[in-house]
Amino acid sequence: MFRSSMVKQRQQERRCVLMQFFADIAVVGLRILLAIYAVFIIYQCFGSMRRQKRQESPLVMLYNKTIREKIPVICWENSIGRSKGSDIVIEDPTVSRNHCVLLRRREGWFVSDVGSKSGTKVNGRPVHSRHRVSLDDEIQIGSTTLALRRADEFDGDIRHHWFFSRVSSKPSVSAPLLLILVNLFYLFMAVEICITYGELRLPAFEVCGAMILFSWVLYAFSRGVFQRLNFELETLALFLTGTGAMLLVEQDIMDAWIQIIAAMVGATGYMLMLLFIANPDRIVKWRMAVMIVALGFLAVNLAFGRMEFGAANRIYIGGVSIQPSEIVKIAYIFVGASALDHLQTRRNLIEFIAFSALCVGALALMGDFGTALIFFVTFLVISIIRSGDYKTVMLAVAGAAFAVVLILQFKPYIAERFAIWGHALEDPYDAGYQQSGVLTYISSGGLFGTGVGNGILRYYGASETDLVFGIVSEEMGLIIALAIAFVIFGLVVYSRAISTRSRSTFYSISACCAASMMLTQTALNIFGCTDILPLTGVTLPFISAGGSSMLSCWGMLAFIKAADERTYSKSKLTGNA
Amino acid sequence: MKRTMSRSIISLILALSFLLGLGFLCFRYITENSLWASQTYNQYLSSGKGLTSAGTIYDRNKVALAYSQDGQRLYSDSYNMRLGTLHAVGDGSYNIATAVQTRYRAQLVGHSAVFGYGLPESLKSTGNMKLTLDAEVCAKVYEAFGGYKGACFVYNYKTGEVLCMVSTPAYDPQNVPDTIPEGAYLNNAISSTYSPGSIYKIITTVALLESDADAENMTFTCEGKKEFDGDDVTCLENHGTMNLSQAFAWSCNIAFADAATQVGADKMQSVSEKLGITKSYNVSGIKTAQGHFDVEDANGNQLAWSGVGQYTDMVNPAQMAILCGAIANGGDAKLPTYIDGVYSGGTGRLMSADTASRMQDIMRYTITDHYGDTMFGGLTVGAKTGTAEVGEGKEPNAWMVGYSTDEDYPLAFAVVVEEGGYGFYTAGPIARTAMIESAKSLGFEG
Repeated sequence: MFRSSMVKQRQQERRCVLMQFFADIAVVGLRILLAIYAVFIIYQCFGSMRRQKRQESPLVMLYNKTIREKIPVICWENSIGRSKGSDIVIEDPTVSRNHCVLLRRREGWFVSDVGSKSGTKVNGRPVHSRHRVSLDDEIQIGSTTLALRRADEFDGDIRHHWFFSRVSSKPSVSAPLLLILVNLFYLFMAVEICITYGELRLPAFEVCGAMILFSWVLYAFSRGVFQRLNFELETLALFLTGTGAMLLVEQDIMDAWIQIIAAMVGATGYMLMLLFIANPDRIVKWRMAVMIVALGFLAVNLAFGRMEFGAANRIYIGGVSIQPSEIVKIAYIFVGASALDHLQTRRNLIEFIAFSALCVGALALMGDFGTALIFFVTFLVISIIRSGDYKTVMLAVAGAAFAVVLILQFKPYIAERFAIWGHALEDPYDAGYQQSGVLTYISSGGLFGTGVGNGILRYYGASETDLVFGIVSEEMGLIIALAIAFVIFGLVVYSRAISTRSRSTFYSISACCAASMMLTQTALNIFGCTDILPLTGVTLPFISAGGSSMLSCWGMLAFIKAADERTYSKSKLTGNA
Repeated sequence: MKRTMSRSIISLILALSFLLGLGFLCFRYITENSLWASQTYNQYLSSGKGLTSAGTIYDRNKVALAYSQDGQRLYSDSYNMRLGTLHAVGDGSYNIATAVQTRYRAQLVGHSAVFGYGLPESLKSTGNMKLTLDAEVCAKVYEAFGGYKGACFVYNYKTGEVLCMVSTPAYDPQNVPDTIPEGAYLNNAISSTYSPGSIYKIITTVALLESDADAENMTFTCEGKKEFDGDDVTCLENHGTMNLSQAFAWSCNIAFADAATQVGADKMQSVSEKLGITKSYNVSGIKTAQGHFDVEDANGNQLAWSGVGQYTDMVNPAQMAILCGAIANGGDAKLPTYIDGVYSGGTGRLMSADTASRMQDIMRYTITDHYGDTMFGGLTVGAKTGTAEVGEGKEPNAWMVGYSTDEDYPLAFAVVVEEGGYGFYTAGPIARTAMIESAKSLGFEG
C-alpha cells in the first residue's frame, strides 16, 4: 500500500518534470520562431517592393533632326546640354553646357531656358520663362533641332535599376496578406507577454487589437480612397510601430496608447502631406513659409524649453509635451529638397546653409546634440545631392568643426558628457551606466531574447527612448533588433532605387534625404547605446516611445512614398503629350 | 535628374557605413558577449540566478575545486586547498578580480552566445571549467607560507601552464569570515608589485653581459662599502675580490653598484624595459601589475642603488617568473595561463640566446656553489635570492626567483614573502616546496 503510493508519487513527479521540460521547449521554440518570422516579414516586404511593376517605356521621345537620333525621355525633369552630366547630352559646340530643362507637369510638357548663351527657341520663337511644348513641336538649341515625338516611336532598350530586377506582374505576397502577417506578429508578442507573466494580460491584447484596427483603417484609406496599389512601405512602418507599442505595454501602458494615437495622427499627416506635395509647383511657393514656421518652432522651443536630462528640447502645451525639433525635421527636408527648375544650374546654397546653421545652432543651444548631428549629416547629404559642390560642403564641414572646437573651448563641461565614449564598461555604475547596461543585457538576451516583458533594461531610466534597441535585443533577441535596423537600411536603398523615375527631382532628393535622416538617427541611437558612438539620446524611428518622434517618422515616410511614380498615378495625365 | 541620381550615391555610402557599423557591433558581440554578460551588476547573475547553479571548476587533475549541489555552492574539502586556490577560483562575491568565478561567471552559469541567459532552467547546460593549477601543490605551498603574506608563482615556460599560484593572505570561500584580512582580495602573484632587492641583479647582469662580451672575466672588489657620487653603497659583508659569477652568487651590492655605474643609466633603463619590468603581461586575459624602473633623474648614487634593486625599483612576481622562464628557455618564453584552453601568447624575444645561455651559467653557479642541488631535490635549478629593504621599520621582503632546465620539468618560479627577512631563510623553503611539488605533478620522482 505504502509502496504503491510512493511509486505513484514518483511517477507524478516525473510527469511534472517532463511537462515542464516540454513547456520550456515550447517557449524557447516560440522565441526562435518569432525571430525567423520577423525576418520573413521584412524579407517579404522588400521582396514585394522589388517586384513592383514600374512604367518601363519612356515617357516621350525627342528626335534629334540634325543627326537623326532618337532620344528616350525617361524622367519628369530633364536637363539638356553639352555637359556629360546632363540627362540629355547634345554633342554640339553651339549648345551651352547647361542649356535648358524639359519638364513634365500635370498640364503637359514644358521647356525653359536656364541661361544658355545662344538661347532656346520653340518652333522658331525664342522662349524666356517656362514654355509649353506639344507633340511635334520643335525645340532649337544652338544649331540642333529636337522634335517632341510620341514614346512608342522609340524602339531601343532602357536600363533598369538593379533593385527592380525581379519585376513581375504580381507581388510575391498580396498587400492584405502581408498585413495579416504583421498583425500575427503583434499577436505573438501579446502571447509572449502572457507567457512571461504566466497569466492573461488583457492590456497586451487591447493594444494588439488597436494596432490591428489601425492597420486596416490605413489600408482601407490607401486602397479605397486613394486607390494606391502598393502598401509595403506602410506595412513596414506598421510593423515597427506595433513592435514599439507592444514593448511598451508592460512598461507604461499610457505610453503605449500615446504611441498608437501618435501613429494614427502621424498616418493622417502622412496622407495629408502626400496630397500637399502632389504638385511640385506648389512646393516652391510654400518653401519660404515653411522655413519661417520651422524657425518659429525652434525659437519658441528656445524661449520656453525646460531643461530635462541635459537637454531643453521640449515644450509643454496644456500638459502635453512636444518636441518641436521632431516636426522641424520634416520642414527641413521640405525646404532642403525644393529648388526645382533652377536646381540643375544654380549652385547657390547660401540660403539653405544659413537655414541649416540656424537649425543646428538652435539645437546645440538646447543641448540636443544628437538631433543637431542628425540635421548636420542631413545637411551634408542634401547639399551634395543638390549642388555636387564639394567645395562648399567641405567649407561647411570645416565651419562646423571650428564651431565645435570653439564650443568645447568655452564650455568644456560639454565634452565631459561624452568623455565615457568607448570605455563605458570601465565605469558601469556612473558615467557608463546606460551603455554598459545595454551591452550586458544584449548579451544576456542572446540571439532570441529572454521573452517580451522579461527584461531588466526596461527598468533603466529613459530606456524606452534612448536604450530601446537594447530592450528589443534583450527581450526579443539580437536577430530581431538587427532586422529592425536593416529595415531602415532597406529604406535608403529603396528610396534611391524608386527615385530614378520620380515625377520631380524634389521627390528624388527628399526621399533620399528623408531616408538618410532616419538612417542617421538610427545609427546614433543604436551605436550610441552600444558605446560605438557617443550616447546622444536620440530616438529609434518608429520604435522608441515618444509622440513627436512618431509623428515625424510618418512624415518622413511621406517623402519616400511620394518618390514612387505610382503614388500619384491616379491623377496621371494621359494622352496630352 | 541624372546628376541628382549620381550624387545621391552619398545616401548609399551612408547606408553602407551603417551596415559596417552593424557588422562591427556583431563582431563585438561575438568576441565580447561573455565579458558583457559577466558584469557584476548583471541581474541575471544575482537574485537567485547566480552561482548556485553554476558549473564545476576543476584543477589539472580533475579535482573539483568548486561545484554546485542542491542549490548551494560548495568548495573543495581541504582547507589549505580552498585557501591556496582562492585567487584562481574565487568566492561568491565579485571581489577577487583574477578568479574565474568572477571573470567567467557567465560561462559557469550557462551563458551562451546564442541563447544568452534566455534558456529556462530545464534546458540550460552549465559550463564547467578546468584550471591548469595543481590544487595539491597550491595547498602545500599555502601551508608553507605559514601565515606570512606574499605570493608564489610556478609555471611551465614551454607550455605556459601555471601549476601553482598562491597569494596570501587568503580566506575561506566556504565560510567567508566577517572581517576579510587586509589585502586578501588582491592576487599578489599577478596584481601586486614589490621592491625587488637583490633579485634585480639579474637585470643588471643582463645589462652588463650585453654591453661587455668579456664580462665573466671582470673582477670586482668589495670592502663592505663604497662611495658613489658622494654617498655610500653598503654591502652586508666584506666580499674581497671576486668575478661576476661569484659576485652574483654572493649577492655583493658593491659589485652590482659598480656594474650599474659602468653600464650607465640609459642602458639600465633600456634593458629593464626590454626585459619587461615596466611592461604589463597578459596572463589568461588578466594584465600583470607593471613594475617600475626609472633612473632618468637619478644621481650616480641612486643609479648604483637601482642596480641592486633598491632606489624606486618595483617588480611583480609573475613578471619575474616569466623573466626566469625566458632565461631558461633561451631568450623567450610562453606567457603563463592558469585557465585550461586560454592561450596567453609569448613574450617575444627578451634577450639573445647567447645572453640567455651566459645568464644560465651565472644563475646555475649560485645554486651549485652556494646551496647545492639537494635543496631542490635533484632538479637542475638556477636561481637568485633577494632581500629587499622596504624601510618604515619593517623587516625586509624575502625573494627567491629561478627556474629548472630539466627537459621534462621546464619550470620557472617566483616567491616573495613580505617582511620575511633574509631571502634564503623564508622564501627558500617555500620555493623548494613549490618547485619539487610542481615537478612531481609533472612526473618527477625526487
